Amino acid sequence: MPVMRINVGPIHPSTHGVLRLLVDVDGDTIENMTCHIGFLHRGVEKLMENRMYMQSPSYTEKLDYVAPLGWDDLYVHTVELALQKEVKETAKYARVIIMEFQRIASHLFFIGALCNDVGQMFTMFMWAFRERDAVLKFLEDVSGSRMFYVNMRVGGLMRPLPDDFYDRAYKLTEYIAYKVKGYKDVIDDNSIFMERTKGIGTISKKEAIDFGLSGPNLRASGVEYDVRKKYPYYAYDKLKFKVPTSNIGDGYARYKMRYEEIFESIKIIRQALDKMPKDNDVVGFPIKLIGPEAKPDIVINHHELPRGEGIIYMVPDKQKPYRIRLRSPVFISLSALEHICKGAKFADLFSIAGTLDVVMAEVDR
Amino acid sequence: MLKTLDELKTNGYDYLKDVTAVDYVTYLEVVYILYNIKLSREEIVKVQLDPKNPKIHTIMDKFPAADWYEREMSEMFGIGIVGRRAKRLLLEEWNGISPPLRKSFAWGKDYAKE
Repeated sequence: MPVMRINVGPIHPSTHGVLRLLVDVDGDTIENMTCHIGFLHRGVEKLMENRMYMQSPSYTEKLDYVAPLGWDDLYVHTVELALQKEVKETAKYARVIIMEFQRIASHLFFIGALCNDVGQMFTMFMWAFRERDAVLKFLEDVSGSRMFYVNMRVGGLMRPLPDDFYDRAYKLTEYIAYKVKGYKDVIDDNSIFMERTKGIGTISKKEAIDFGLSGPNLRASGVEYDVRKKYPYYAYDKLKFKVPTSNIGDGYARYKMRYEEIFESIKIIRQALDKMPKDNDVVGFPIKLIGPEAKPDIVINHHELPRGEGIIYMVPDKQKPYRIRLRSPVFISLSALEHICKGAKFADLFSIAGTLDVVMAEVDR
Repeated sequence: MLKTLDELKTNGYDYLKDVTAVDYVTYLEVVYILYNIKLSREEIVKVQLDPKNPKIHTIMDKFPAADWYEREMSEMFGIGIVGRRAKRLLLEEWNGISPPLRKSFAWGKDYAKE
């Protein structure tokens, strides 16, 4: 049969942004696939080079709009390193708690959207979004905004934590743990989900390293690499948690990593709540657009974002970055998609793209 | 540069984290961030290039992850990548205007009007 070229998009193949795929198929087997990206390209790196340090968080928030606090946190932490400002002790724990809640919200979004992609329609989508909304409501009460929080300031957070922060956070972890345990029955017993993810899009350990995958995608292929363990920032070195890994590397393993990470995040949140000083001294320095002179030549900062390892390579200047490089984990996951898809069935394309957890706004920057 | 990267790869630095560049006006600097998973160590390799006609050899045969990084870098900094076939631009069509992340790119100039 002759090879046929099918154009997919520019649409959102897995509800995460605009992506165009050109797929060469022989029958329904994919021979070759090219990604066309850049539909959401804004040139964030250039924009940030022309803004004062604390004008930029509104850009970093919009990179990964499913988990906006991830990049926000990473960027503000990098600025702190450049300006050599210490983060307040309570704020360190508060950031860990907020970030882990953000990770839970992001993984819930992933589970809901993935189930939708593979054809297990709406039940899981609605359930996952119900829990995610409870997290968003909590984060809204902490920061004042539902999705784009802009809650990080140099040295701490924007405003003090609400009085019932401890109780509400603890109750929320109980609620999520209870609800997410119930997902198991719906997903693991569902033949549609299992058949469309098990053995689909398998990535070996060597391939995962060669493609440069990171985060849960890398750990699903058997590499135990987590930035929170290797470069402990904030209070992660004082908290005990496991890094879930799997040796299988297929779509189901990538889902399972995220499912298990939700429970690890809950563990982290509970420990951080217990260890956090109760003085509520979290407010950072007020925004001063003309900051002090930046000192180091180069700042490299790694954080474990919900989708993998985010790296900022910054050459600081006096009041704004001379050059800032945002290394996105999703950009490189998507480049791996071209290789993983070869030989797969056309119908599995969206299942594979869905399990890689791609957010296009971050790919294009 | 290729020798250094080869040596690092044989010593277990096989996880390429990033390829990027910085424009220091008098020279261009290409930055490779490599990681050794067994030793949990990171190494950074920097190469200085002449800004007038910057060219660098591809590392894609050693590190397949470099594919999109190199394309993005060559597009944003106008750095020629030697040793790989030309592919279409990754992020945006620039139509011959100055590479956007170089300092020579005039900020605020309306390129669309020209």
